[in-house]
Amino acid sequence: MSKINKYDAIVIGGGHNGLTAAAYLARAGKEVLVLERRHVLGGAAVTEEIFPGFKFSVCSYVVSLMKANVMRELMLPHFGLELLPLESTFTPLENDYLMRTADADQTYREIARHSTRDAETYMRFGPRMGQIGMAVRPILETIAPNAIRPSLSDLSNLKNLLNHVKNLSSEQFEYLTKLMTMSSADFLDEWFEFEPLKATMSASGIIGTFMGPRSPGSAYVMLHHYMGDIDGAFRAWGFQRGGTGGVSMAIARSAEHFGATIMTESSVEKVIVKNGKSVGVALENGDEYKSDMVISGLDPKLSFLKLLEEKDLPSDFVQSIKNFRIRGSSGKVNLALDGLPNFTCLPGEGHHLRGAISISPSYDHLEKAYDDAKYGNFSKKPFMDIILPSMLDPEMAPPGKHVMSCFVQYAPYNLKGGWNDSKREAFGDAVVNTLAHYAPNIKDLILHRQVLTPADLESTFGLTEGNIFHGELTIQQLFSLRPAVKWADYTTPIKNYFQCGSGTHPGGGITGSPGEMAAKKILGILK
Amino acid sequence: MIYKNNFHAETQLKLSPFFERTSKLNESQEWRRWSGYLSATNYELSHENEYFAIRTKAALLDISPLYKYIIEGPDTQKYLHRLVTRNINICKIGQVMYTPWCDEDGKVIDDGTVQRLSENTFRITSAEPNLEWLQYNAMGLNLKIKDDSKNTAALALQGPNSRKILNTVAKDSLDQLKFFWMINTNIKDCPVSISRTGYTGDLGYEIWIDPKDALTVWDILLEKGKSYGITPTGLHALDISRIEAGLILLDVDYISSRHAIIESRKSSPYELGLGWAVKMNKKNFIGKKALEKELARGPEWEFIGIEIEWDQLEKLYREAGLAPGLPSTAWRTSTPLYYNNQQVGYATSGAWSPILKKYIALGHLKSNFAMNGTILDFEVKIEHFRKLTKAKVVKTPFFDPKRKRSCPK
Amino acid sequence: MKHYDVIVIGSGINSLSSAALLGKAGKSVLVLEARNNIGGMASTIEFLPGYKCNIINDTIKWINPKLLQELHITSADLQIIKPEITHIALGENSKHIYFHRDVKKTANSIKNLSEKDANNWEDFTLYIKKSTEFLERLYQNTPPKLPNINVLEALSMKNMLNPIIKHGTRGIVDLLRTTPMMMLEMMDEWFENDLLRGTLSSIGVHHSSLGPFSASTGYNFLHQHLYSNGIIHHNTFIKGGTFKFAKLLKTIAESYNVEFKINTKVKSIKLDNEFCKGVILENNDEINSSIIVSGVDPKNTFINLVGIPNLNPNFHTQVRNIKYRGSIARMHFLLKKLPKIHNIPIANMDTMFSICPNIEYLERASDSMKYGCLADEPSISFCFPTIINPDFSSDEKHILSSTIQYAPYYLRNQQWGSETNEVLKQTVIKTLENYIPGFNKLIESCTIYSPKDLEKEFGISEGNLNHGEMTLDQFMFMRPTINTAQYKTPFNNLYLCGPGTHPGGGLHGTNALNSVKEILKN
Repeated sequence: MSKINKYDAIVIGGGHNGLTAAAYLARAGKEVLVLERRHVLGGAAVTEEIFPGFKFSVCSYVVSLMKANVMRELMLPHFGLELLPLESTFTPLENDYLMRTADADQTYREIARHSTRDAETYMRFGPRMGQIGMAVRPILETIAPNAIRPSLSDLSNLKNLLNHVKNLSSEQFEYLTKLMTMSSADFLDEWFEFEPLKATMSASGIIGTFMGPRSPGSAYVMLHHYMGDIDGAFRAWGFQRGGTGGVSMAIARSAEHFGATIMTESSVEKVIVKNGKSVGVALENGDEYKSDMVISGLDPKLSFLKLLEEKDLPSDFVQSIKNFRIRGSSGKVNLALDGLPNFTCLPGEGHHLRGAISISPSYDHLEKAYDDAKYGNFSKKPFMDIILPSMLDPEMAPPGKHVMSCFVQYAPYNLKGGWNDSKREAFGDAVVNTLAHYAPNIKDLILHRQVLTPADLESTFGLTEGNIFHGELTIQQLFSLRPAVKWADYTTPIKNYFQCGSGTHPGGGITGSPGEMAAKKILGILK
Repeated sequence: MIYKNNFHAETQLKLSPFFERTSKLNESQEWRRWSGYLSATNYELSHENEYFAIRTKAALLDISPLYKYIIEGPDTQKYLHRLVTRNINICKIGQVMYTPWCDEDGKVIDDGTVQRLSENTFRITSAEPNLEWLQYNAMGLNLKIKDDSKNTAALALQGPNSRKILNTVAKDSLDQLKFFWMINTNIKDCPVSISRTGYTGDLGYEIWIDPKDALTVWDILLEKGKSYGITPTGLHALDISRIEAGLILLDVDYISSRHAIIESRKSSPYELGLGWAVKMNKKNFIGKKALEKELARGPEWEFIGIEIEWDQLEKLYREAGLAPGLPSTAWRTSTPLYYNNQQVGYATSGAWSPILKKYIALGHLKSNFAMNGTILDFEVKIEHFRKLTKAKVVKTPFFDPKRKRSCPK
Repeated sequence: MKHYDVIVIGSGINSLSSAALLGKAGKSVLVLEARNNIGGMASTIEFLPGYKCNIINDTIKWINPKLLQELHITSADLQIIKPEITHIALGENSKHIYFHRDVKKTANSIKNLSEKDANNWEDFTLYIKKSTEFLERLYQNTPPKLPNINVLEALSMKNMLNPIIKHGTRGIVDLLRTTPMMMLEMMDEWFENDLLRGTLSSIGVHHSSLGPFSASTGYNFLHQHLYSNGIIHHNTFIKGGTFKFAKLLKTIAESYNVEFKINTKVKSIKLDNEFCKGVILENNDEINSSIIVSGVDPKNTFINLVGIPNLNPNFHTQVRNIKYRGSIARMHFLLKKLPKIHNIPIANMDTMFSICPNIEYLERASDSMKYGCLADEPSISFCFPTIINPDFSSDEKHILSSTIQYAPYYLRNQQWGSETNEVLKQTVIKTLENYIPGFNKLIESCTIYSPKDLEKEFGISEGNLNHGEMTLDQFMFMRPTINTAQYKTPFNNLYLCGPGTHPGGGLHGTNALNSVKEILKN
């Protein structure tokens, strides 16, 4: 327990963005206190031993989008960041499979088994997307300007961005426009013909959103996932040794190294506002902490509608936050396994189990899964993104045993009739049955099953509606409109109250970016 | 000393139809990846014998990894005429044309040979997969494109004795087969096509074979060729000879415009020394408009040969207390070229030419400096330190024997 | 053979407007029409002896006022019927919503279903009005060539400033928020009543392949409400049918000496080294002109008339990637007599009706686009042309003209033909029967236009009435492709003026206005 109760800054929420902001502020010499509601740090990026001997990255399961400069500036490798590469993506099909690996030649051959044309196109596609990713970067790394009353620095930022955009080639600009507006299926249809390939690629356009691959706007989410940057290589996914919680722990240790105080099991009830200024926070247990500024790493709905009184905020702002769309669409199923799954289409142990396994055999599979959800049911045959962390890091499970992490879509937060125990188990069964279609032995291997519905994600991790991105990544919720116009630069209508969660520009994923940029904005490094 | 082994390992790389033979002959066990195939780098511990086989005897190379496409149908001539920069309308049956092809900005996508097999059938070879581009531009035309890469095995028989060997094994004489022409004939009972083409700049042939006949043809060539010095040859030796011949290599000397992610990485045919292959009197072909403009203003870059002057190089080595030591194989690292302390270009590949006894390289140079005889400074690293040494711009090919084109009287 | 300054290919509203405007500017113009009559989609014909209807568009959402002004068209020349009740959304148990020209009356009608929504109504109409004002301005400009916009182009957009001055940058922000929205989102922000949400959403998906849960349907909603002055479901009718509008434009064009040839199908555009010299007709006749203006859709223009071998590969890709995806069918029923609709007085039947009880119903219907099948429960809008224009029927019989959404152009495992048409017809009858009891018994005959039929009859690719989907990736500087959005094409002297260009579909003539401006500039 900390002795002082007056801080320069209090960060609400010990998720990776909150911790990142705290680390940056502490690094700049501020007296910082981080308050986490749960007993563990990391928010959605946590590792827990749910079943004895088996460690799970309970919620977030891969790291791809962590910004290189955040890793360096906060010395994360020094504090325990160890990212193991996920080598391949394996899509099991009926009697066949699609495999993409880190080796370009091999990927070419594997795709060419299905379509030579696609194999060639694939070689061009990656670098093109990389280029577009580069073109988008400066936009992501700029503080989103106030679109209503831009400040001088906003105008100069805008001018720089306009110049940047002007210098794009017509081709880049065309692709960028298309990626911002199209559905991932439409975008991929312009390039490829082999459906399982398109479906698997389009899946990165639906992860974390309430959209199907044919929904306009999903192409942007796909691009968002293409901006993963590990060791400077685009589209490189990684797994944190020891589980995703290790990423948060590394940031936490970094923050502590720079002098921040971190307290768990400290649930903030209210931000204390006096004369339109935040002056501290009140915990549920009645403790109060004073500080010059308060920074919330929670999502916009919690940050404003729960921690503050509506009367303290301008009514149009309250309306905007109420209209801010956070739509939970995904669930998580964690399995403790007695052995390795055996896929009918590619029996035995092999490289394919060391990478991502994607249950996305066709657009229809994904779309039908989405159809179930949009009418209020969980998917009977869901889309899944699966990894076997124990294949990458044996210490995740006892010898010979394995852990399997299944990210599942769709499971709507607003399920017809609401979520309850039997619905949760039915959802878990749907996942296992779908998986068993491709790997029939899975049912005999399960030692323990943890099913997390969006409602569980909300109650456990405080993610509103269980949305992993703190808000849909749609055009009208990006940049200067994330989370609300005028307040997209991490400031809020309450003086000295700031936001730094994924609900701010540039959005979700384990990027550390909102936390970094919020801190830099507060410190005046970024304008 | 021969060390017997019985090991075998599974591989995820493709194996050519000749692999059963080449794998046993490869004493060095040095392999390189070529288009996803396992290809011999050199069969002996050093590639020297193989190099000299190309220049003095006969070298046998497995070139099956080349990409091969068969294009067939009434519109094929019209189609290829629009696709490539050379004039396909004058390509006769049995004739072969070397040509680059460009995108609509006049930047080279790939280069290869176009072989006219019959009135309406052509084979096109390329370094990279090109099916997507080929198919794309065929839309609306009456023709079929088949990826024939796997269905045709290919050997290159190169060197002064190559004709003699083929004359002993082929049903028809090759004496009258002219440079860049081809015939259909039989070797043993296997139907093959033989084209008088190659990537060595020497007298040589390429043999196109049904994969099921691959081993038969290989065996008889080695058997009958033995007294002519036939030598299974790997890619190291080939690389030196193609530099001597001034022939460009995709992904080494230039990058396909389909894959170049920035403009400056792309090259036009003019910038690759292939201006002779661009036929501007053709009514239309892909990239013509852009190339017309480029021709009008003059290309920015030129592709040149350079000869690194020996005396100064030797002096630099002496100063370091060393005798001149050059890499024995061809190099592919981009190396700066200077003029008056200003970088004006870069060499992309180079080698010591054992036959010419010269240190030669190929490279890109800003056009203003590309006149023959211009003296440049070439960067060399001697004992970890960078030095500059004189190099002269020269005409390519560096090595161009008469036998390459001539026929016996 | 005579040499013309301009040949216009096609004679739809935009082609006719272009011809008239170019004629007015003193050019010698020839209009070539493949069909046996002018008008394109503005086609009012006698589909059965003695009975007329508008084959495609029953209503006109808006006409660009500038076009009327430039061609001196007065309300006497073109009689527009503006019913006080612009639309009736049919509800279950006779709880319908009446959309009036008077905002307050509409609010009153909504009040029966939801007090809250009725209270929000006026604000909603103002919000839409404000956003459409920006679009009206935007539509008057040729889209800039992005990304490298030059100062002159930037200045030409200056008329965007007026609405900014009027509404502040907030207006622009609202527009930016609204255009990428899905109707579901817009409805969630404003309304709770199912029928209201459904019927408004049906405007957002009007003639589109998207469902109301798809982003950018908000944009289509705005597009349908230009010059509507905040009147939602802004339906107006032309006296005598939409063809009257085409006929009027033709008459005006002829007064400027524009010549017309019908039954004259263009086979290809004559090209000489990327210069267009004229056209070659189906019968191999050639007609020369200095300029060619194509009112047909981009796919027809470039792939068919210019020809693939003449397109450079990159442009070819862009043209091929334009999305059409026809999604509607039209069905005209000849009825023995005027039917009774639950609780609707005959006096109010001179307007549009829609069947779209809720937003989910519409989305479910749209799922059929994804799977290439016919919707079991389609969204239907219909009207009685014989009430709006009593002279459309020669006796006491009536016509019901309906638009069925969704009917995908691409069906899986089956082809459009009499079998599918029959299935569709039965589905429509069943659906109508719910609201018009005894409808089935009144039917004397039925004429169906599937998307395939629309394509065949009107030459519109995939039967898409907008010459290309109205989505944000095909909006403004991307319409029809990033390099041809300025009405100019990669081929010298060849211009586009159809709905495939900015600002998209509808019988409003804006495309022609902008296109002619560009043509006369050069």
